[in-house]
Amino acid sequence: MSEGRIKRMKELPSTHLLGTGTAMCSGCGGLEAVHQIYDVLGEKTVFVNAAGCMTLLSVYPFTPFRGSWLYTAMASAPAGAQGVRDALDILIEQERLPASENLDVVVLTGDGSAYGMGMSATSGALDRNLDFLYICYDNEGYGNTGQQSSSATPHAAATSTSHNYAGYKKDLFAIWAAHDPSYVATVIGSEPLDLARKIEKAKELRGPRMILALSPCPTGWDYDPKDSVEVGKLAVKTGIWPLKEYVDGEVVHTRIPRERLPVRDYLRLQGRFAHLFQPQENTALIDAIQARVDRYWDNLV
Amino acid sequence: MQPSLLTGNAAAAWGARLARVDYVPAFPITPQTEIIETIAGWVESGDLAARMVTLESEHSMITAAGAAAATGVRVFSATSSQGLLHAMEMLYTVAGWRAPFVLVNVSRGLSAPITLEADHNDIMAARDSGFLQIHCADCQEVLDSVLIAYRLAEDPDIRLPVLVNLDGFYLSFTREPVALPAAELVQTFLPPFDARNIRFSASAPQSQAVAVLGGGPYSYFRYECHLAALNGVALYQQVAEEFAGLFGRDRCAVEDYRAQDAEIVFYMVGSFATKAREAVDRLREAGQPVGLVRPRLLRPFPAAPIAALLAGKQAVIVIDQNLSVGQGGVLHTELTCSLYGRPDAPPIVCSFIGGLGGRDISAQEFYQMVAVARDAVDAGVAPPPRLLYTAEELRETRKLQAIAMAEQVETAPSPQEQGDE
Amino acid sequence: MYRIRIHGRGGQGIKMASRILGTALFRSGYTVQDAPKYGAERRGAPIFSYVRAAHQAINERGVIQQPDLVVVADDTLLAVPAAGTLLGIGPDTVVLINSHQSADTWRHRLNLRAKVEILPAQEVVEDRAELPHVGATCAGAAACLLGVIEARKLEQAITEELGALDASVITRNCASALAAFNAMAPRRGLVREGHVIPATGYDAPQWIELPFERADISAPDIRAAANSVQVRTGLWRTMRPIIDHEQCNHCWWICSTLCPDSAIKVENDVPAIDYDHCKGCMVCVGVCPPHAISGIPEYLAQMEDSADATEPSDG
Repeated sequence: MSEGRIKRMKELPSTHLLGTGTAMCSGCGGLEAVHQIYDVLGEKTVFVNAAGCMTLLSVYPFTPFRGSWLYTAMASAPAGAQGVRDALDILIEQERLPASENLDVVVLTGDGSAYGMGMSATSGALDRNLDFLYICYDNEGYGNTGQQSSSATPHAAATSTSHNYAGYKKDLFAIWAAHDPSYVATVIGSEPLDLARKIEKAKELRGPRMILALSPCPTGWDYDPKDSVEVGKLAVKTGIWPLKEYVDGEVVHTRIPRERLPVRDYLRLQGRFAHLFQPQENTALIDAIQARVDRYWDNLV
Repeated sequence: MQPSLLTGNAAAAWGARLARVDYVPAFPITPQTEIIETIAGWVESGDLAARMVTLESEHSMITAAGAAAATGVRVFSATSSQGLLHAMEMLYTVAGWRAPFVLVNVSRGLSAPITLEADHNDIMAARDSGFLQIHCADCQEVLDSVLIAYRLAEDPDIRLPVLVNLDGFYLSFTREPVALPAAELVQTFLPPFDARNIRFSASAPQSQAVAVLGGGPYSYFRYECHLAALNGVALYQQVAEEFAGLFGRDRCAVEDYRAQDAEIVFYMVGSFATKAREAVDRLREAGQPVGLVRPRLLRPFPAAPIAALLAGKQAVIVIDQNLSVGQGGVLHTELTCSLYGRPDAPPIVCSFIGGLGGRDISAQEFYQMVAVARDAVDAGVAPPPRLLYTAEELRETRKLQAIAMAEQVETAPSPQEQGDE
Repeated sequence: MYRIRIHGRGGQGIKMASRILGTALFRSGYTVQDAPKYGAERRGAPIFSYVRAAHQAINERGVIQQPDLVVVADDTLLAVPAAGTLLGIGPDTVVLINSHQSADTWRHRLNLRAKVEILPAQEVVEDRAELPHVGATCAGAAACLLGVIEARKLEQAITEELGALDASVITRNCASALAAFNAMAPRRGLVREGHVIPATGYDAPQWIELPFERADISAPDIRAAANSVQVRTGLWRTMRPIIDHEQCNHCWWICSTLCPDSAIKVENDVPAIDYDHCKGCMVCVGVCPPHAISGIPEYLAQMEDSADATEPSDG
């Protein structure tokens, strides 16, 4: 692995590339991750977007991007990325465009597209070994339409279509890794150093590089925006959101909490899990959630 | 140059090759697959310096096509039927991106029930999307239309994607004489794509195809697509004249086959229109002044040339190889709308639906349609729309039904059958 | 017909306000049409809802162009042109503003030829969970101004509309709404039914033939880089974070990194909050290691701003 330039917190950029003034909710954990990612990836990028909250990053006539952007459709952002990447390669190969004009192609999608409707296009792009980055901001539901449950919704969460979601969060990391891409990583905006290192690493590689960013969502998860970072930190400290990478055929965890905080600390902060505590505590369900998390970490040994 | 025998699919592929396309996103579907197989062979042999990528669906294929065109390369793709409809969301989208490229559609009937044979419901479903549409009657026209289509798509006064339609099986797998134009002449007619500011590049950041909130701005963007498409009527004429000058073939927006002095004309698109030409010749021999008016350009709708050709006619026989369920034939609907209120519009416009799912339209049927039109002229009123479908066909269908229903009972004869023999 | 528009922010119960008023009018014998108008779901972003009520069938539809009553639940919106709070206001329109400031102040500031009424805003709201009541409170005040809704119908409407929620929540909403209803008693019936747009003597629409323009400009593309800075999302703010520079220990700029909106810049080794864009999420308050950032309600901050307007700024 190459030596990245970001080793310490102090080396994180303090001026930011992504423009302010976008229409994301106040306290958006997704935007937090995206602006940190953009700082590392830079403006020689073209972001290819699938329908979701972040589609409204750019609403005519405003854009926060210093680089480029293409909105496609909910199911096909990776195919859009394919078209742009191939076209740039053709133009540069034929010297119709100077190599200095090259751009990195970056797909930006929410969990609604990545876990569901866009799965086919993502799998196709991975299969074709497309040279691109793929950022999924995962707020565990169809956020832009009012937080209906998606296959990214965790067990027992309340959404606008479920008062107690019966399903389990799909393991998208494993699905992506099964395609053996160049790189897969989970990140979260509340862990900026871990995120920056991973994006740097991804930037140096070629082929498909897949980033899954848990995105605490005040609007959808029902908590005060000021707690977005706290919620994110708890997701990591309780072990609910493992920070890990898939690279060279192996899964490596970049953070292994020595003593995990109980999951109830994470659940209790969010209105979408309030029914686990009021009117009385649903201990069985909380224990079940804890057991699943424990099982994940126990199996790592 | 001596013509070769080429299928419609091969002619389409040659169109792409002569246009020196850069990028071919692909996905297989009957009956167009031969197009992409031919192109794949040329890419491998180096006869076509293009990149070909198989996407995992047509929806993705059109997305990739539009995205590559939006980045500034010349793009070609092909599909049919279910594939065109699977991509339908993206047809509207890439037109709204103002991404110029050419999509060949090999026309095939739509599910359900699923079929592999030709009709025009697929291409008609795309008529509102923002793609221009050119309809071909023979394999030569397929090749010519692909070249013309690039001129239209890339013209700065249009800058919209273009569909070139050919009938499945009747053209796609049928060989006819096709003259391959000389490469240098094609270069003169169609220079390399001058993408201008259609691009993604580091030094010129662009946010393309962004969201729009507000009915005023959305109306503006959508209507400008329409105005650009309308420019296509005049531009198509210019380009066709240029084409005729270089290649000696008339590809004007509306074919006029013996229509000038006709009293009654057929009106239809696609390869079965050559059967109409044949019927015109036989009817003329029998003393009936009949002709054919055949739009090549269907989007934008060339209202003025059509109205001019139909002016003063006694009757128009519209033959639709498509069906808008609950309304009728699309060509009939659009033609009568376009003629309404014109002082010289033909008083009688007949609607016939035929050829669905590849069903043949026989010579006798063409003659009979004229007889019906003549009666209508005499009576002063058009008959109700008719599905071209015979008693024999119904008998055959009944037999199939009996088998499907596992019945041994004989089906009841139809009223017509009772009248026969 | 009564034509009522209610303006506020996502999360303040503006849609609920239209439902409460709509149901109250419906239960008072009116035919009603009510609806919210928003784009995507955005907490804090300006939204509005509307209510039409009449004693005959309502065939009008869509945005209300000539309101009889405009309710502004969050007075910081009056500075946001895109919120459209003042659209179509005429001399007979009653504008009810939920505010700490006086009617005269607003009349003067906005140069309004309309009837401005103030619903006094609650005292300093530290518990931001109180914000969702704003809609119900304003609906209560509006109900009184209309003069045709009785208090018990108002209460009935609230109970009906909030039915799915906790009893304590319903009680709180009813209490706030009724308090507001009673507070407006001296002005009961101030709002009059408005008039239809007559078919003679109307202002003709200025239709044009849209000219063709090449796709270079008529495609939905943006060639300016990061021009979103022109959108002052700072106007969403209901709480303002303030850095105490004496407490700031110049860490590795945790506040700047963790601000989701890139609204904290570091210049000359000093972090500065970009108040044109800060949405007031208050994430920075929680993450600052020496707790050097604190928050005050935005309206108070704005009052201090205008008081300080003539003084030289610090640093």
